Amino acid sequence: MSARRFTWNRDFWPLLIASTASFVVVMIVAYHEYTPEWRHYTLAFRSYLTGRGAYDAAAAVPDNVQQIWLPELDRVDRCISCHVNYDGSISTLPDLPPLYRPHPDLPYMAKHPFPSFGCTACHGGQGYALDAAGAHGLVEHWDDPLLTTKLAGEYGLTRAQLMEIKCNTCHRSDDSTPGTDSINMAKEIFERKHCTSCHGLQGGGGLAASDLTYDGDLDPEYLDFSNVEGPKTTLNWQVQHFKSPQQVIKRSGMPNYKLNDEQARGMALLMLSWTRISFPPQYVPAARRRPAVVQPVVREVPYPPNATTPLGQQGRYVFTNRGCNSCHRVGGGKLIGPDLEGVTHRRNDRWLQSWLKDPAAVVAKDPELQTWSHEFGDIIMPNQNLDDKEIDALIAYMKEFPESAPPTPAAAPQ
Amino acid sequence: MTMRARLIRLWRWVTWTWSPASEREASTAIVENLWLHWFPAKVAEASFSWSYSLWLGAISAFLFLILTVTGVLLMFFYVPSTQQAYWSIKDIHYVVGFGWLLRNQHRWAAHLMVLVVFLHMLRVFFTGAYRAQRSANWLVGVILLLLTLFLSFTGYLLPWDQLAFWAVTVGTNIAKEAPLVGAALRFILLGGTEIGQSTLVRFYVLHVFVLPAAVLALFAYHMWRVRRDGGMAVTDPASAGVDEPREASPVAGKTYSLFGVTPGTSLETRAAGPFGDEAATFSAPHLLRRLMLVFLAVFTLTIVLSLISGAPLEEPANATLTPNPAKAPWYFLWLQELVAITTLRLGGLTLSGGLIGGILVPGILLAAGVAWPFLDRSPLRTVGRWFPRERRLQNTVLCIIAFIMLVLVLIGMLMRGPYWQLYWPWQAWPEMPRRL
Repeated sequence: MSARRFTWNRDFWPLLIASTASFVVVMIVAYHEYTPEWRHYTLAFRSYLTGRGAYDAAAAVPDNVQQIWLPELDRVDRCISCHVNYDGSISTLPDLPPLYRPHPDLPYMAKHPFPSFGCTACHGGQGYALDAAGAHGLVEHWDDPLLTTKLAGEYGLTRAQLMEIKCNTCHRSDDSTPGTDSINMAKEIFERKHCTSCHGLQGGGGLAASDLTYDGDLDPEYLDFSNVEGPKTTLNWQVQHFKSPQQVIKRSGMPNYKLNDEQARGMALLMLSWTRISFPPQYVPAARRRPAVVQPVVREVPYPPNATTPLGQQGRYVFTNRGCNSCHRVGGGKLIGPDLEGVTHRRNDRWLQSWLKDPAAVVAKDPELQTWSHEFGDIIMPNQNLDDKEIDALIAYMKEFPESAPPTPAAAPQ
Repeated sequence: MTMRARLIRLWRWVTWTWSPASEREASTAIVENLWLHWFPAKVAEASFSWSYSLWLGAISAFLFLILTVTGVLLMFFYVPSTQQAYWSIKDIHYVVGFGWLLRNQHRWAAHLMVLVVFLHMLRVFFTGAYRAQRSANWLVGVILLLLTLFLSFTGYLLPWDQLAFWAVTVGTNIAKEAPLVGAALRFILLGGTEIGQSTLVRFYVLHVFVLPAAVLALFAYHMWRVRRDGGMAVTDPASAGVDEPREASPVAGKTYSLFGVTPGTSLETRAAGPFGDEAATFSAPHLLRRLMLVFLAVFTLTIVLSLISGAPLEEPANATLTPNPAKAPWYFLWLQELVAITTLRLGGLTLSGGLIGGILVPGILLAAGVAWPFLDRSPLRTVGRWFPRERRLQNTVLCIIAFIMLVLVLIGMLMRGPYWQLYWPWQAWPEMPRRL
């Protein structure tokens, strides 16, 4: 290699290019950092106010990140970095652009002040974010989107109705909360239809079906959408399930309550509102409760009577395992379905076999049963998909029930 | 003296070692500057070759520097608690000044470092720079590679999102398949039987302190060893076609003995390459300029990548919901593919893919890599050259192995969907249901 002068500028041009390039990218980084999206909106607000002559208001527009920090609710809401005039403290001019309008002063706002509740607790969204798409939760990997009119419209709901999910997350112990009409209706249906006879809830309720206490936390990836039409969302699944349980879950033992669209949507909203949320005592709302109404709860029903014959014991096993005792008592009056004490003296074996095989087919052939079912909330016993062996065992078991007088239509549950 | 002259003198006093004004200054600069005496006073001009080493070692060192600086800054904001980790990263991204850059750059530098360290290892192998006296440094390099992978793996968990949680699940479940020690190894890694707070703290301590300290210590030895072994292999006399190294005649100068400086002859390494004035270059300023160039290029690249694409953050970690599919980090995807391929179900028996694909195959590769310097029989004169005919077989084998690893990684990244089914990259996966 030939000798080189000591002071030769090795790599002169590459170094110049690399230095320039690194300087340029650092400048781009600085530009990126100092021109965040929210700043665009606050500066636009300033110039808007200046244009309307509100100079004091324009000076009051902040030029940094704004946030409502809620450690007790374990969240931070930075929505107000863009929605700077959320509380009307900057300007109360009429006809402000939507982004800069103060929050409407609704009747319950006094009880839900911003410093204590923030924004996302009621509206959804990603409070941590500072860009519009991220903050509105319209991004991957964030499953609490902003509740908008558009989103509500996909389910035939209004925005206020969709937001009732959020209200009831905290107000679930109310029998009825002013302002949440859909949820109130749903709670009334829930009580009237005795859902807790089969479903567990808050430590009580039945054992035959799923526990609903935190049904809103059920992960959508665990739901079966193969028979669900429409969007693949938990809310849609719930609505379809309430409209027709057997359509969504093929072998469901849940009766079809013939809810109309509005009722099914309300029930779905109720289910989605039951989520895990913890907050300190000062946030717990005073429960609005009517005097307690005793509900028939399966866990308080005594076990069905013992059996003596082997086949009868098998039948008792089926009776408890397949949830017959969630709806039928043996002595003690009607529950969801009629009291089965002495049923084998009222119906013969063949009738019982065809009933247990397919109740709907038996009802279709016997109109008298249709009128009779009025007493039981117009519900026909859902097909429990029993096989012949189970049916024989059940009939053998029912034959061991003590004889009794036929239940009168007016018999009320204890 | 005028003020201007004083200022110039002050400037020279501070910076003379970095831009020496004479050959004499260049020689003494190395010794008289704490940072610079890392380097020898002179380096062989052949070491500057881009096409020989691609400067991969320097690139990985600078990536480590970027990782350390961004990492320390991130440490001021990140909280290693299962309740707070995820949200502290949200805050870093959105609110901390330049936090988005710190995080993105850290992630990109980490991925690049794993890649570059691997490529560096390939280069050293292909040029035979692990032979004879350099076998010790090769072993140190293998350990550094493992430390790099482990650093990346421990860092991967820290965001505590679904991606992190389940990638570490996959990795530690593969570790469990090691014979005899597998279960204990997993227990030590996790700090228990499940991935939780103890795992997070443990991985955090490893990631921010233990492993970087180990890397720094070994890196120091790795660099010193290069000098002790006679510089880069490309400068070896044998590879330069010189049969006998020219003995340098002793030069009157200082000799450094244990207790002080004694007059006498200067220290010279007798096994040095054909160093004459023609082939040697002063480290100050030439090596420094080259290193500055490499650093600026690496820095610019990481920033550009950070501007283009951000570090991912998925849903918060949920131990009850496995993402489908759950994938290991890309540098372990080839292992996960091997595990999936070697998991065979024959009737009621399951062949443990974790053991075969996850432990045995990489174990054999590692053992082969460690042992190879001692098994290699190619002539020493081929050291320091790319793909010489005498080492063609082993280089071809390594090429094939690296290619297979690349293909497996690409399949894992681009073509595996739910239930580990194969999808073409353009094929849509089944729609994932959402809440609303």
